[in-house]
Amino acid sequence: MRIAKYIGIRLLYIIPVMLGVTILVFLISHTIPGDPASLIAGPKASKATIERIRHDLGLDKPIYVQYMIYLRGLLKGDFGKSIRTGIDVATDLKKYFPATLELTFFSMLFAIGAGIPLGIISAIKRNRWPDHISRTFSIFGVSMPVFWLGLLLLLVFYSKLKILPGSGRLDTILSPPTHITGMYTIDALLTGNWPVFISALTHLILPAFCLGYVYLAIITRITRSSMLEVLNKEYIETARANGIPEKSIILKHALKNALIPVVTIIGISFGELMGGAILTETIFSFPGVGKYVVESINYLDFPAIMGFTVVVTFIYVFMNLLVDVIYAFLDPQIRY
Amino acid sequence: MKKYGILIFVLVLLISTLAFATPKDVLVVGTREDVRILDPAVTFDNQDWRVTYPCYDRLVKYKGSSTEVEPSVAESWQANEDGTVWTFKLKKGIKFDDGTPLDAKAVKFTFERLKKIGKGPSDYFTEIKEIKILGDYEVQFVLEYPYAPFIYTLATNAASILNPNIIKHEENGDLAQKWLATHIDGSGPFRLKEWVKDEKIVLEAKDDYWGEKPKLKEVIIKVIKESTDQRMALERGDIDIADGILVDQLEKLAKNKDVVIRKYPSQLCNYVYINNQKKPLDNKLVRQALNYAVDYKGIIDFVLKGNGIQMRGPIPKGMWGHSEDVFQYTYDPKKAKELLKKAGYAKGLELEIMYSSVQPTWEEEVLILQSNFADIGVKLNIRKLANPTMREKVDKGQFDLCMGRWSPDFADPSMFMNYWFDSSKWGLAGNRSFYKNDEVDKLIREALKIPDQKKREELYKKAQDIIMEDAPYILLYQTMSIIPMRKEVKNFIYNPMLERMYNFESIYK
Repeated sequence: MRIAKYIGIRLLYIIPVMLGVTILVFLISHTIPGDPASLIAGPKASKATIERIRHDLGLDKPIYVQYMIYLRGLLKGDFGKSIRTGIDVATDLKKYFPATLELTFFSMLFAIGAGIPLGIISAIKRNRWPDHISRTFSIFGVSMPVFWLGLLLLLVFYSKLKILPGSGRLDTILSPPTHITGMYTIDALLTGNWPVFISALTHLILPAFCLGYVYLAIITRITRSSMLEVLNKEYIETARANGIPEKSIILKHALKNALIPVVTIIGISFGELMGGAILTETIFSFPGVGKYVVESINYLDFPAIMGFTVVVTFIYVFMNLLVDVIYAFLDPQIRY
Repeated sequence: MKKYGILIFVLVLLISTLAFATPKDVLVVGTREDVRILDPAVTFDNQDWRVTYPCYDRLVKYKGSSTEVEPSVAESWQANEDGTVWTFKLKKGIKFDDGTPLDAKAVKFTFERLKKIGKGPSDYFTEIKEIKILGDYEVQFVLEYPYAPFIYTLATNAASILNPNIIKHEENGDLAQKWLATHIDGSGPFRLKEWVKDEKIVLEAKDDYWGEKPKLKEVIIKVIKESTDQRMALERGDIDIADGILVDQLEKLAKNKDVVIRKYPSQLCNYVYINNQKKPLDNKLVRQALNYAVDYKGIIDFVLKGNGIQMRGPIPKGMWGHSEDVFQYTYDPKKAKELLKKAGYAKGLELEIMYSSVQPTWEEEVLILQSNFADIGVKLNIRKLANPTMREKVDKGQFDLCMGRWSPDFADPSMFMNYWFDSSKWGLAGNRSFYKNDEVDKLIREALKIPDQKKREELYKKAQDIIMEDAPYILLYQTMSIIPMRKEVKNFIYNPMLERMYNFESIYK
């Protein structure tokens, strides 16, 4: 019951955060010099044409009026229409977020699935060769520039070995599966569309690896240091003295306690990734939100920038809340 | 557990080698940006036009690779003596997908809608006063004033003839703009089959096209953002034509025997705006000095790897009206210094140049300019801006120098002369150097009105001579259009008026 109240209060906090963020982004994006109307009108348009477009878009109104209009729409769930494409921003976001979510999911799957075991091994075999290998591996991950890694992966697996597909989400001649979630792998599975499923899955391998590698490195390092700390605690000694098998000590007694900082990192990473991985998305021509927002910024597409901000802020705040709730399950000492 | 992991990995790799190859009658074009808006009355972007152009028909079309126009939907046409009334007879039997005939009503609807919407593309047609239907297949354009390039504007994407039935998709009086932003309803050789945003756009050939039937069955335009990715995809044969490979990758690509790198002289011009209203640039001698200070050949050889030619006059080579007799500035630092001295700046001066990331080569070019100017005692400060910001500053005249580029939309020298130099077009509209010369204004305005091409050419020549003396811009170079493609791609025709718009209707593999 307590936790329900806690979650309720935290959810209420979202309101001032959202208001603050939207005001800030709205102000910044509207006050930097640049005129989307002239971009829409084209390089050779006359002044009268540009004026007319500006009026149509409501850009000739004072900025606080524009903000109020935006806010009123937002409360009704209307994100407005993209200046760049003329399509509802909500439609755009519905298309780009699932792509990012899919990519994020697979990268995190890889980062967590490999990162935590590597971290544990590192900690147990501290300063011996498995530890050295895993630490070298993760140093590479943290320090390698993503765009370079991405190109290298493409060069090796796509261009030279020809075993993995290149950029995009699907083979060129395939059409996306029927829209259910917007995530191609899941939609293809649900509709039993195997060629598309395989194509979508294989297209995810390189970008997910590229993106996940950085987080894998971070997770490995955090798991390692956190495990080391826990393994030195007295209760572990006690457990050992009681003759509990080593495997069970590590997985049951130590790991659960060591995971708290790891969960924090995973939660924050997830929020971060949902904001789009601009470099990875660009290199692999993966149409996620990162690419979308960069293109929107280049066009000063206010409604699109705002829509993105609102959704990402929400996800970020929500992920933080989720992490805090998970703490309580991992560590019974934490009470809300 | 580990064993299974490896097994699954190997399996996935094996399956993925069974890639889905593209069939012979499907052409795949790699491009760096997705299409934005498909409405011909709204879009002002070659990237969009590439998709819409082959899906619509127009009254006239370009003859192969030339800038001459020939009949398309129009069977024939006639103009009155002063060129203010144009009457077109239309071909019969052309239909839209829903069976609606392409007739005089459709033509009238298209142009009236274009003018009512009043976005960028309508600027070509400000001279149209009225469109009269003379018969089912006869239509007349009445112009407000004589406008010599009129017939050429009818070959632009903006003049694509729409199915008048699209109006049933109208919402809140938007003349179906929302619908047409993502749909196509034309009578052209292709139709829009599928658009997966930011991934690909698929065009399907029509079996019942009234003209010559396309040999391809489908055209897929695939978004591949990175130049390196495009190169790899082209080398592997995943795409047939790549339009976004940067110059620095070409050398490597040239070694591949399956790929041909086609080069065509384009009319995309690069130049530097000089703010003619700002001190000390309002002094003709200073502007001339800057023009003499630039190492044109160095820029072309080093930055463009030789893929360009120095401009001679504002009308590019390949456009009628271009003349080899027009004066051309050459790299002459000594003369530049003398001119500066004469202008009273013997001690040198300080200027700022703006550029944006819109064109990747500008970064290197401004650095060359900086060192060239330093040689004559001009300190050049470099300022990189976001493109919208830069454009705003250009419009308001808040700059000394600025990098710029321009390409013509229809085959008429007015695309350069009347935009770049008319003092009524100061700012983004075209005259980005804020240049004003009454004599030039008079000459180019007259040249826009008389229908006789020979006379127009003379007027433009006169104007060019004055302009080169005034030196309102630094005219750098016109580029080559470089289009790498698989060697199987046959019958590719490049038309400088249709930059990025390929002849899908006649290409085959």
